Amino acid sequence: MSDAIKPDVTMDLKGLACPMPVVKVSQQIKKMQIGQILAAETTDPGAHADFPAWAKSTGNEILSTDKKDTVTTFYIKKLK
Amino acid sequence: MEKEKAMELKQILKTRLNRPMRYYIDTCTRCGLCYDTCHAFQGIPKKEYSPVGRAEVVRKLYKKYTRPGGFIFPYGTDATKFSDTVMDQLYEAAWSCTGCRRCAVNCPFGIDTGQMMGVAKHLLIANGTAPEELVMLADAAVEKGKSIDQFKEGYRNVIRDLEKEVQRKLSLPASDGLIPMEKKDATILYVGLAGAHSIVNPAIIFNAAKENWTLSFFEAVNFGFFAGDPAKANFIAQRIIKEATALNVKEVVVVECGTAFRILRALMGKLPFKVTSIVELIHRYLKEGRIKLKEGAVSDAVTYHDPCQLGRNGGVYDEPREVIRKIVTDYREMSPTREQNWCCGGGGGLVALDNEEFRIKTGKPKKEQIVATGAKIVVTACENCVSQLKTIQSGYGLDVEVKYLTELVCENIIV
Repeated sequence: MSDAIKPDVTMDLKGLACPMPVVKVSQQIKKMQIGQILAAETTDPGAHADFPAWAKSTGNEILSTDKKDTVTTFYIKKLK
Repeated sequence: MEKEKAMELKQILKTRLNRPMRYYIDTCTRCGLCYDTCHAFQGIPKKEYSPVGRAEVVRKLYKKYTRPGGFIFPYGTDATKFSDTVMDQLYEAAWSCTGCRRCAVNCPFGIDTGQMMGVAKHLLIANGTAPEELVMLADAAVEKGKSIDQFKEGYRNVIRDLEKEVQRKLSLPASDGLIPMEKKDATILYVGLAGAHSIVNPAIIFNAAKENWTLSFFEAVNFGFFAGDPAKANFIAQRIIKEATALNVKEVVVVECGTAFRILRALMGKLPFKVTSIVELIHRYLKEGRIKLKEGAVSDAVTYHDPCQLGRNGGVYDEPREVIRKIVTDYREMSPTREQNWCCGGGGGLVALDNEEFRIKTGKPKKEQIVATGAKIVVTACENCVSQLKTIQSGYGLDVEVKYLTELVCENIIV
């Protein structure tokens, strides 16, 4: 599915300390237009629970995740 | 500011200003001794960044709303009522304080400005002007607590990858079960953070010690506490308490995160399990001979930074030093140290805010301490401190490496 997704912005969050991955995603999504897609690349295992929880609490949508080795890309659509 | 909002804030102020806090406000003589104890004031010498300067904002509100003189003759006193300007001052006060409590240790009356800043943060939450980042992180943590069953499978899958890292480090034939999850009746529930380092290194130590342990689904850090929201802080802490109780563990071991440790150890009342820092546990394993370290393996000069919530506010001073001294030949103590150690400037949630320039300036006393030791490696045991020490390192161009204690241990563990 992620092959068909064309992100508007891609962020490299690999190796950032807690809680910066979610903070950076939140800051970036605020700058974007509704309907745009952010691709967030992270190595944090906790992101697999933290990003969906963040998306649910902020009303945004995780379209899909793409995991390659230790790096996971979250495709997040801005809905609010 | 609308009248209804001011009334709401007044109620919170009166509720939160308990007896000790009223004592603090009434007792302060403005001697100014605390100016010299605050890293923020040392970095930016302005009164509003001093403990007494911060407390003054709360004290003026206290006079207005709880003292007859301040209510009847506000113009004859310095009592102030709630307004947008006062809320801005409260923000400046609360979010320049890391809650390190170095001022409280040195105040002749033991006045705890950090606690008063807890009141300021609560007022900012109610006013809707708390830092957005921390409110967002607290909301996400609450949501995670409510919907954890939806997120478990994704988390489990990625933990399987980390098990392979642990397997490689320990040269074991298989990776299955090296990071157990939801293990009923385990001795220890370990609560990590989001980053792989906070899980892999402790997992190596637990496996080397042949511990009967299980990994929590939750992160130890409490953003509700950082934000100053008591209801969310309690909910976030209760996620871990409920998980530990359901699994019937004997002990909860907290990652290298000072605030998480202090909240569970000291602020949640009596719990049906013991709360231990991973630092204390490593020390215990060493004493019991359950893990072995390469003695004297590191010859570079090494110093240790006491995280305020682990050291000054948690009393964990000797354990990390004894672990480090096993591994290094040239250990150098910072001066001043232990309860007088300078805060790094990143605690209290400040490291999550967009304030790097402020944190570099207020990290000046810590920078000077590190430089004075001549150490090449700074070891600490707190995620916030590591982030802030790296900011200080890059901000001042220091030729030092910053390491977690668990990282140093895992680099030198005999497997």
